Amino acid sequence: MSKQMIISIMSKDRTGIIADVTGAIFELGGDLADLNQSVLCGYLTMILFASFDEEIRAGQVIDRINRIDSPTALDVVAREVEDVDRTDTGLPQKTYIMTSQGANRKGLVYGISSFCYHNDINILDLATTIQGDTYTMVLQLDLSRVASIVDLRTALQNYARQNDLQIILQHHDLFKVTNEIPF
Amino acid sequence: MLRSDQILATVEMIQKENLDVRTVTMGINLLDCRSGSVAQTCENIEERIAGKAGKFVETCNLVSRKLGIPVVNKRISITPISLVGAGYSRDDFVELARCLDRAATSVGVDILGGFSAQVEKGMTETDRQYILSLPEALAVSEKVCASINIASSQKGINMDALAMLGQTVKDIAEYTRHQNGFGAAKFVVFCNQPGDNPFMAGAIHGIEEADTVLNVGVSGPGVIARSLEKLISTRSDNGGSLKLDEIAEDIKQTTFRVTRCGELVGRQVSDLLGVQFGVVDLSLAPTPTVGDSVGEILHILGVDAIGAPGSTAILAMLNDAVKKGGIFASKTVGGLSGAFIPVMEDAVLAEAVGSKHLCLEKLEAMTCVCSVGLDMVAIPGSVDGDTIAAIIADEMALGMVNNKTTAARLIPVPGKEVGDSVSFGGLFGASPIMEIRNVGKSSRFIGWGGRIPAPIHSFKN
Repeated sequence: MSKQMIISIMSKDRTGIIADVTGAIFELGGDLADLNQSVLCGYLTMILFASFDEEIRAGQVIDRINRIDSPTALDVVAREVEDVDRTDTGLPQKTYIMTSQGANRKGLVYGISSFCYHNDINILDLATTIQGDTYTMVLQLDLSRVASIVDLRTALQNYARQNDLQIILQHHDLFKVTNEIPF
Repeated sequence: MLRSDQILATVEMIQKENLDVRTVTMGINLLDCRSGSVAQTCENIEERIAGKAGKFVETCNLVSRKLGIPVVNKRISITPISLVGAGYSRDDFVELARCLDRAATSVGVDILGGFSAQVEKGMTETDRQYILSLPEALAVSEKVCASINIASSQKGINMDALAMLGQTVKDIAEYTRHQNGFGAAKFVVFCNQPGDNPFMAGAIHGIEEADTVLNVGVSGPGVIARSLEKLISTRSDNGGSLKLDEIAEDIKQTTFRVTRCGELVGRQVSDLLGVQFGVVDLSLAPTPTVGDSVGEILHILGVDAIGAPGSTAILAMLNDAVKKGGIFASKTVGGLSGAFIPVMEDAVLAEAVGSKHLCLEKLEAMTCVCSVGLDMVAIPGSVDGDTIAAIIADEMALGMVNNKTTAARLIPVPGKEVGDSVSFGGLFGASPIMEIRNVGKSSRFIGWGGRIPAPIHSFKN
């Protein structure tokens, strides 16, 4: 019987963090399944999914990672999880890309994410950039629970007008075909 | 997830650079609609078009809304009408034009092509009746486009048909005098006409095609122009040099992306309608909108006046790069596939006519290296039929000898001369009247009739 665990790490970025953390998991007999990491403003965040023998507890994993001789502080969270569905079903059929551009100000991400929440839209991924005074958000959205794309576009147009933003919503397929070569 | 810069580049293509799918064209076979009476044939045709294309426009709009990319035109092409109306008279063909106009209106398409005949070797009596019907047919219908194939690399040029067509073009313009001869903008003469071209006015549903098929025409001069501007300015900011082969590569890559959008839309519409997908036509089709011009690309690539020496060479490179980028992007490519230089529909080309930088002879030279030919050229209404026929003959010879499609869509604008301008509005655009030199000096040539034999290199068996 094995135990499944989600582990999250945050640290100032440096070389060797992934080697240190996965080494610690290996020592505890863990089997690493998935790992995602990204770096923002010089800080690394990483989320891992691993399986351990039944007797390993989340606390032991945290302790072992905290004992790594690291020149940067590692903030660790580990949580035991059950019934994780790891079947990769790919993106939902109604995956859309929303881009929003406008003058930078507070609350832009909050506004767009609230709009999505109120319209029953799940945000699958989100990236933001700032160039000069222009703040750009690129969101990957699941519109599976949206009944009418026409109504949504109208609501989005109103939202964009009220908030002085340029918002565009297009199907993910369009971006796939223009940027990827099928194989 | 795709990278943000990739996503933003695609968004820019559509929002700021006029990327659209220029047309989705449904080809419909009408061969078996022929009946004993014209009335019954018309009924059969209207029933066929309503049955096949009843949900066509709605489906295109649905896919357009779903993907977030405009589909500008929804069109129908049909089996060349001279085959459908075999044995009919001039008046019967006019009736068929009316019926096609009704059918196109009832299913909500923008335009219908295929009021056509293929006479590259010889004419039947039906073909003659069809040609005689053209002036009235194009005047009484709004959405019907006509075309005729009078030449091919295999068969030569049918000069008897050509002699009739010089005057017919004038008559078509005269019948629509109140619209500045607009009827002639709906009629095009071809050499090597393809049967799967989705663009108007020359779209037909060739007899080699299945019952129903969807062909897509992509656009994108604006996308290519903006991409080239970006490439040139980035390279210049970095102090680096830029060579033409790198420019050609940029055009290829941009065309790849443009074509993939067209393919995506076409295949989704075709799946939803349960209709066979035909081809993507990789043409750069300009519109009168500022920033959506093939002429502008020539400017960007280094000629300060369209028609100046170098224009033909640039166009040759552009045309080739568009094909190379597009061919890899689509499973099936066909139609015309090349850069269009329709004078009235391209604001920069039209301006070059007004400033006398672009003359008919240079335009003709440019048509040797691109598709489709002397397209949407407004000429003085006083030019005689034989001169028009001879201009068309020259263009046909280019296509015949070079194994390519060429076409002529000349509009002799009634009552207008060099110095005047004409505007048809919308996608048909506007232009000053182009000067025709040596008017009235080709009648002896046109008077011969007969055929110009096929060139020696057509005998390949």
